[in-house]
Amino acid sequence: MGVTRDGEPALRVTGIEHAYGDVPALRGVDLEVAPGECVALLGPNGAGKTTLIGLATGLLAVQTGRVAVKGRDPRRAATRRLLGVVQQQLGFPRTLTVAELVRGAAVRAGRPATAALGALAEVGITELADRRSAKLSGGQQQRVALAMALVGDPQLLLLDEPTVGLDVTARREFWQTVAARRDAGAGVLLTTHVVEEAAAVADQVVVLHEGRVIAAGSPAELIALLPDRTVTARTTLPACAVADLPAALSVSNDGELLRVSSTAPEELLRAWLAADPWLSDLRVEGAGLEQALVVLTERAGVFA
Amino acid sequence: MTAPGAGAVLGVEVAEGLRGVIREPAALFFSVVVPVLFFTMFTALFGSMPSPNGLPVAASMLATFGAFGVVSVMQLNPGISVASDRESGWLRMKKVSAAPVWITIAGKVLAALPYALAVLAALTAVALAVVGPVIGVGPWLRLVVVLLLGSLPFACLGLAVGFLASANATTAILNAILFPMVIASGLWIPLEAMPAWVGGIAPFLPTYHLAQLALAQLTGAPAAAHVLVLLAATVVTGGLAGWAYRNLRV
Repeated sequence: MGVTRDGEPALRVTGIEHAYGDVPALRGVDLEVAPGECVALLGPNGAGKTTLIGLATGLLAVQTGRVAVKGRDPRRAATRRLLGVVQQQLGFPRTLTVAELVRGAAVRAGRPATAALGALAEVGITELADRRSAKLSGGQQQRVALAMALVGDPQLLLLDEPTVGLDVTARREFWQTVAARRDAGAGVLLTTHVVEEAAAVADQVVVLHEGRVIAAGSPAELIALLPDRTVTARTTLPACAVADLPAALSVSNDGELLRVSSTAPEELLRAWLAADPWLSDLRVEGAGLEQALVVLTERAGVFA
Repeated sequence: MTAPGAGAVLGVEVAEGLRGVIREPAALFFSVVVPVLFFTMFTALFGSMPSPNGLPVAASMLATFGAFGVVSVMQLNPGISVASDRESGWLRMKKVSAAPVWITIAGKVLAALPYALAVLAALTAVALAVVGPVIGVGPWLRLVVVLLLGSLPFACLGLAVGFLASANATTAILNAILFPMVIASGLWIPLEAMPAWVGGIAPFLPTYHLAQLALAQLTGAPAAAHVLVLLAATVVTGGLAGWAYRNLRV
């Protein structure tokens, strides 16, 4: 050790294939997290997100391909000094207090136990220091886990579904803390099923589907991949008539309104207004990231 | 970049293990209460009579019940603790840290030792209260040292099971091994009072040799054979634990 390689990405995953017995989990994944960058892994359950995190934490042995944290192998304990990890299952011993948990994490990361004070303050749980873990709410446990991940001053933060059980305010505070570390130069790789969260916090979104990366880019780029718009309006026409209008892709009921998706909403609206002069409550929306993901995932399913 | 110091991490592990016992002692209540209760009963009944080896029964029983108490703590405690840490996800959190997992495991064995010592202290206190001083301080200290050192193969066995089985299964399996072994080794009822075939089985059990090694500290009988058997048992159970560790699923 001792050689610092500042040019290395926080995490580099190259040509990773991984299978559990005969069941493939990852089928050729490349991924990079630069220092000061936050990458969100999105995808349905079973897409391979947790396997990828498992490889990056060194918990799983690489089968094919290469995983490097700052150019080093995470299977080596010394490399994991660079990691801060929040796992899905926390399992704190119920008899330990918050301060003891974070102090233990500090020592295991090679730092003095006193570093715990700073981490508790950074996550905003100083007042919980003397509470036993058995008495913590789910949201409090997640914040303790974040403090334990940050106390080692990591260069790569790996967060596997870290905001499950947090309310809106706690979520925002959680991501603010993570973003501050990102801005200070740490690389962040997170998995989440809350798409808005990924859109708000991530610089890059990587969509995994059945072990492959089916899309990658900034949240805006991903949304732009889908030109679909949604037009909603109150109409006197029957739904089947609206479906026959030019540029109408699909029609669905939204209460008393009708919702139509279209690649060319202007063309659709000209025809619709001509056919129904009483058209009211008109709204045109761009596709959100959530919708983009659903469509991307469905397309991958069709073309796989 | 500083690598975590093995000593500091071991200190944290032992402290966490001890806090668990001190703050929620109910979990380990029975491993103290059972041997102490039986010991008290038998000492009150037969404590001052001579046993076949010439020692007062209370002194012999300090060795045999001591072996039982120490083995039950050391075989059950670290193994069950590892199994529940695997189940809760806590061991996985440690496995992704920069500290090697073997330190965690060593910490669990070390954290059980004060507990085993507490069992021996309780038995000694009962013997003193009921019968009076039956052995000298020197032999007593040697007894304590051999029992604690000789518990290593049992701790390894417990860990081997705890690395692979669930917490409930680990408890069941280890108890199912412990109690027949303890009874057939004459740790509860002297072998002289049991059918002859039980005495035939006893020399094949490590618990028998641990108790005989402890007794030898009081009688001065030759002990080398017992030490060899316990060393061999450590090699076997240590190998088993090592194999299970390589197949550790966290």
